[in-house]
Amino acid sequence: MTKNIRIAAVSILLALGTSGCSSQVELVNPNIPKLLIEKIPLTVVVKYPDNFNHYVYEEDVIGDSNWTIDLGGANKTMFNNLFGSMFTSVKVIEEGESLDDLQFDAYIEPSIEKFEFAIPAQSRTKSYAVWIRYRLKVFDANGVQISNWPVSAYGKQMGGKMNGADTIKKAAVLAMRDATAVIGIQMDKATGVSKLSSAHGPAETTPASTVGESAKTVSTDEESAISE
Amino acid sequence: MQMEHSESTAFSSSKLPFLAITALLLSACVTSRVEDVRAIETHISAGEGVVIMAKSYHLGNETESKFISCVGDSLGRGSKRLKVVPNGAFIDSLFPWFEPRTAPAKTEGLATLMARPGVAKKIESQGVRYIIWLDGNTDRVAGGGSMSCAAGPGGGGCFGFAWWQNDANYEASIWDLKGQESAGTISTDVSGTSFMPALIIPIPLIARTQTKACKALAEQLSIFLKQDGSA
Repeated sequence: MTKNIRIAAVSILLALGTSGCSSQVELVNPNIPKLLIEKIPLTVVVKYPDNFNHYVYEEDVIGDSNWTIDLGGANKTMFNNLFGSMFTSVKVIEEGESLDDLQFDAYIEPSIEKFEFAIPAQSRTKSYAVWIRYRLKVFDANGVQISNWPVSAYGKQMGGKMNGADTIKKAAVLAMRDATAVIGIQMDKATGVSKLSSAHGPAETTPASTVGESAKTVSTDEESAISE
Repeated sequence: MQMEHSESTAFSSSKLPFLAITALLLSACVTSRVEDVRAIETHISAGEGVVIMAKSYHLGNETESKFISCVGDSLGRGSKRLKVVPNGAFIDSLFPWFEPRTAPAKTEGLATLMARPGVAKKIESQGVRYIIWLDGNTDRVAGGGSMSCAAGPGGGGCFGFAWWQNDANYEASIWDLKGQESAGTISTDVSGTSFMPALIIPIPLIARTQTKACKALAEQLSIFLKQDGSA
């Protein structure tokens, strides 16, 4: 009997101890509205990496706790909404699906390169911040890469009555909105994607690499500007 | 038991005026200053309203969302109330043009923004005539004193005295969307000192600096926007 009580007490203490040292953030269905922009008359095919279905970032913050930020499928939702607002026709293909039978003007491969966050204990401010760096590779209908564009997004939320996890969640949504805004406004200028319209004929670009040949990439590799 | 009760009431009654006067004296340490600079005449017609937004954090601004809500609520109440369009719905309806990175930083950018497809129509459909951009925050600028608390089997209590000073500095820039120009600015500077004496029980005497700044700014905004008496 006494042994059972001891085990129960130790278990409770362990549970309390471990729960006090971790912060869980789960992002479900971020609020990212449709874009109020003119659509580019293009038929695009999009392929997402596997981690867009379930992106999880973990970091042990020294002096704070172990943070697990689960973006779930939020990146996929964000890009589906974004490309749906930007182009007249969008088709998403899954891993293993071939491009051979598809008619399209542009093929886009978005990816997430880096995720970072800062809490008040680190930044010595009252705010929580999230940085996300995406990369968009754009190919023409012949599989020639015309652009390799990194997009840096930032979201900041002041700490208030909300707990740290909820505040980081808000900052992450703001970073995703920032990425959506930048890509929606600047993608054409940065990548020249609208020139790929079949109505314009073949794109006048210097071939940098082809689909699956990313090592040769040398085309547009500029950070997005702060404003248009 | 009844006697105890009456004794306690007598104690409270005799001490209450003293405590109230002390509280009033101590909590009245708030100073405020409101200034406005008018660039053009303002006029709000029936059906027209305002939207209140924080200046972008990309410009280093840290206005608290609580303060923005407070100014919006204050402007939307009372006999001089204005139509206040919720900023979240406004920003979402015009996405991506009012995000922290993309929102126009100066009135010079308004013409380009309004010329974008669908933007002017969306703004007009919501009846937004003026955008009020809020900049600034409330900061603790000084503090001192000491207080210690202890608890034991027989009870607990605190002893000491603590104080702190908060400064609330905010500026509201009013943009006329119809004229696509700046209508003026209103700034408010409120300073308040809070005290917490403790003799067994701590008595917080809080200077509501941010609330005072909010009310002062909302009142001045209301006067500024309804200058010619039209509603």
